[in-house]
Amino acid sequence: MPASRPQQHLTWFRGTAEMAENSPARLWSMRATYFGLAFVVFFFHLLPLQIMPSRIAGPDILTVLTFAWALRRPSYVPMLSVAVVMLLADFLFHRPPGLWALLVLLAAEWLKVRGRHVRENTFVAEWITAATALFVITVIYRVILAVLIVTPGMLSLWVMQYGMTVAVYPLVAAISYLALGVRRSTPGEYDHTGRPL
Amino acid sequence: MASDRNAQDDFTGPLKRLLLVVLALSLAGIFLLWRIDSPRVERFRAQVVDAVVPRMDWAMAPVTASVRLVRDFQSYQRLYEQNEELRRELRKMTAWKEAALQLEQENARLRDLNNVRLDPRLTFITAVVLADSGSPFRQSVLINVGSRDGIVDGWATMDGIGLVGRVSGVGANTSRVILLTDATSRIPAEIQPSGQRALIAGDNTSAPPIDFLENPDLVRPGDRIVTTGDGEVFPPGLLIGQVAEDPGGRLRVRLAADYERLEFLRVLRDHGTRRVDSPSSLILPEELPDAGVPPTAAPDVVSGDGGDG
Repeated sequence: MPASRPQQHLTWFRGTAEMAENSPARLWSMRATYFGLAFVVFFFHLLPLQIMPSRIAGPDILTVLTFAWALRRPSYVPMLSVAVVMLLADFLFHRPPGLWALLVLLAAEWLKVRGRHVRENTFVAEWITAATALFVITVIYRVILAVLIVTPGMLSLWVMQYGMTVAVYPLVAAISYLALGVRRSTPGEYDHTGRPL
Repeated sequence: MASDRNAQDDFTGPLKRLLLVVLALSLAGIFLLWRIDSPRVERFRAQVVDAVVPRMDWAMAPVTASVRLVRDFQSYQRLYEQNEELRRELRKMTAWKEAALQLEQENARLRDLNNVRLDPRLTFITAVVLADSGSPFRQSVLINVGSRDGIVDGWATMDGIGLVGRVSGVGANTSRVILLTDATSRIPAEIQPSGQRALIAGDNTSAPPIDFLENPDLVRPGDRIVTTGDGEVFPPGLLIGQVAEDPGGRLRVRLAADYERLEFLRVLRDHGTRRVDSPSSLILPEELPDAGVPPTAAPDVVSGDGGDG
């Protein structure tokens, strides 16, 4: 710990705003916000408004939110949050429990590592990274379900959902940034314990 | 500095890695357990849903109501056309009413002659739709009655007119109804007046196709489809819908139940239904057709698949 202290001294003058942004209170409130947003998504998904089978599949907001935050601020979506929220989603949305949660968890961890490299790049690179991760887990999901003889649902709906989810990524990222201040951490930013983000 | 940064990079913290492995294994475990022993996990799902969804109900009810209100307002724009249409229909209906009254009298006389009594066991519980499945790939609704109200897995649900689905998954306060449109729904049916037997197999569209029809030539669009008592899954004679032909020439069901406005459901109490007592057992005939000696052991056969999970 003392070894890393000097770095903090080098950067403390960056301004109080940033210090507040990386404070533990902010960190925990954003972790709670993730759960809050997840429940809002559950709520609107479960509203019994559309009981006829629809020809349109909407975007998977929960997954795209998790990916965007994992790329931008990994500390706001710790593994345990992702696992709990996605498993609950599996149970509530009548999906095979555990599988999608597992894939999203692994993809989110991969994105957290990729996020450090993507961070210095453009937004398009970030977008492509998220889309790739989503594509890979979607394919794996369908393959596993097919192997285990569970009907995974119509392919056309899956393709549509994938397209919608990728398309909605910039929107989710923008709203997270504008309304909640979830922005990409710049290199040389430190959290409250003085570790690089 | 570089080494310090590397140490923090790539979640090298052994604790984090351990947590990831534990989480991944437990999620995979839950999924495999579900695949191997679906009924047990489905019961757990019913409990989870039971704990979460009723807590959201206070907020869901007003939001659903206001969205419906807005939709109804939009329909006022077509009020004049609707009025005209209703007048035309009313004129037609008056004629039908007359016919119905005469038939009712005749029916009453005939029943009297035959000494028929309607099945008193077929009573119903009215339920409110709480939520839908929340996913475009599954067609089911949650209703606000559960084992506390005596709901049993497998009972039929109807709206005022037609069959809606089958109860599958009962929690204490909620239960899930798999709709006829769900891709896992299979309902034995009879097509009147030809008496052909068929299976109504949901495929995630609003008009499920008719499968395993013996002789499609005897069936024409507009014929009524009702449930059979086959397999003792449902009480016989519940209206499902009418036969319709899609542009590809495939026979489908135009469902009688109004899925657009599914707010209240009737769950039919059916005490004749044989219950599925142990997980993974099947409903089989009392005596198997080719079994020479009546089986002495319990005829429960492990299927290894919950089917409608």
